[in-house]
Amino acid sequence: MAESGDSHSQGGTVVLTVDGSGLGRVGARPGLGRYLASLWEFRSFILFDSRSRIAGANSTNALGRLWMVLNPILDGLAYFLVFGLLLGTGRGIENFLAYLIVGVFLFRFTTQAVTSGSRSISGNASIVRAFQFPRATLPIATNIRELLQFGPTLAVMVVLVLVIPPMETITWRWLLMIPLLAVQTLFNVGLSLILARIVSHWVDFGNIIGFGMRLWLYLSAVFFSARRFEDIPPLMTAMHLNPMFCVLDIARQSMLYGQPADPARWGVLLAWTAALLVIGVVFFWMAEETYGEER
Amino acid sequence: MTQSDPTTSDRSAAPRHALPTPPLPPAPADRVEDAAVVLDQAGMTYTVRSAEALGGRSLRSRLRGGASGLRTTTVEALKPLSLVVRQGESVGVVGTNGSGKSTLMKLVTGQLHPTTGHVYAATTPVMLGVNAALVRQVSGEDNIMLGCLAMGMSRVEAEAKYDSIVELSGLEAKALQLPLKAYSSGMASRLQFAIATAVDPDILVIDEALNTGDAQFRARTRSRIDQLREQAGCVFLVSHSMSTIQEMCTRAIWIEQGVLTMDSGAKSVTRTYARYTRKKARGDHEGALALLEAERGVLKRTPVTWPDDARPRRTTAS
Repeated sequence: MAESGDSHSQGGTVVLTVDGSGLGRVGARPGLGRYLASLWEFRSFILFDSRSRIAGANSTNALGRLWMVLNPILDGLAYFLVFGLLLGTGRGIENFLAYLIVGVFLFRFTTQAVTSGSRSISGNASIVRAFQFPRATLPIATNIRELLQFGPTLAVMVVLVLVIPPMETITWRWLLMIPLLAVQTLFNVGLSLILARIVSHWVDFGNIIGFGMRLWLYLSAVFFSARRFEDIPPLMTAMHLNPMFCVLDIARQSMLYGQPADPARWGVLLAWTAALLVIGVVFFWMAEETYGEER
Repeated sequence: MTQSDPTTSDRSAAPRHALPTPPLPPAPADRVEDAAVVLDQAGMTYTVRSAEALGGRSLRSRLRGGASGLRTTTVEALKPLSLVVRQGESVGVVGTNGSGKSTLMKLVTGQLHPTTGHVYAATTPVMLGVNAALVRQVSGEDNIMLGCLAMGMSRVEAEAKYDSIVELSGLEAKALQLPLKAYSSGMASRLQFAIATAVDPDILVIDEALNTGDAQFRARTRSRIDQLREQAGCVFLVSHSMSTIQEMCTRAIWIEQGVLTMDSGAKSVTRTYARYTRKKARGDHEGALALLEAERGVLKRTPVTWPDDARPRRTTAS
């Protein structure tokens, strides 16, 4: 029979009854409500992380910040050459250049935000392993960073729309861009949360995201008019359910055509945003304990 | 014995039958009220995806076998073990390279989650490691703020700690403005150490951190660790220096090949472990193995139960 006792030479088994009232499980995932509250408690971390990295990200290129503006302009130029001039997809679109610019710039915002948001866990392995903090702060901080970086790009977009003939004039409807960008940012956050979990467990998926975003760009009426599909109702419905088409349509109607966008666009966009945010937060939170693992 | 209803007969007969040869001795239970860290059958098995070794297969079979060349292997880095560490204990951890010491420490700090069992602690343990990379693109200054905020400090608290962190790191103001990628590994680990010790943790895990940096920094690290040890409720110290462990720890555990081999006073564990490594170095593998088996044979195992089955469910606070 095994014996207890202080002597270590005797071996055997001593069952220790531990008073667990003062203990917690290390790294345990808190409940969803507590988790959301902890995100709020880490708000200074989110803000500091998003701001500190803007300077760092731009220091690797010689032209730095300029690329944030040059990239969408060059993209727009390429699409204008291929689709506007060669293929003539712009025929029948009023002020095609501005139509294209709004499409390219706003779509690029989501592409950038979702791509870097999806890498926000896998690309920050060292800080994830070094400290215990709610991991969802990283995709959120990445999205705030992208929003801040989009500021100058947005200013250039506005200037281009104003100076490229036919010149547009500023109306009160331009104010709709503020809620639109807010909703678009939340939409990006929801999508980033879902993708960040997938990419952190399966890095290969990052390659698919690049492809998916390009396909989505081509399908979202960035350089053609959705009216092309008027005769094919299923395609038209699909387009109207495409959240990015809704973003672009609302922006164009408000900035270029001076008329209210179809309220259904707001409805579809808000529904997507709400669904992605809820699913994204829950889906991301469910794997909270696994993000520090080595792969 | 010949009763028709076997269930009632078993129940009533059990004590009488059990008397001559007790199948399981009733293990004596000790109560622990002041536990700081509790490992309850915690074990870790890694699944490693690796490229196929080139030498292993002929060219033809490799061509036929598809292009992936990937296979997964499972490595049992740590066999399930139970361990209770009380407030005020400092525990040295010894073992040869690859024995599972670091895995154990990662389980304690929550960086890894055990594949079996659970790890509990009174507060979130803080790891002082040598892996220095924080955010490479960002300046040292910003890394200090980021690290502090990531540990849950408020902006004001982080700013209040800033000067003491800079002082402990010993880095110059000019260096602090450079991005971390411009730092030497020594500078980076000094910064990491200074940041990690900014909070005064109750439970501290020190993984070889004493051996980094130059002599001057080592002296400073040493005094900061002594300070923290005095404040901390509980310290884990992984080291290959037996004298350090004897000096700093009250208790030590020896992990070998993923198995808890010894758990006793720091002096007796370090001496036995030193004897083991000497045998190994001399090439006396049988002697070393015998020593290992002997120690495992006399190890007092301490499985854990919870009163009224009330195992902790909440997460640890910092």
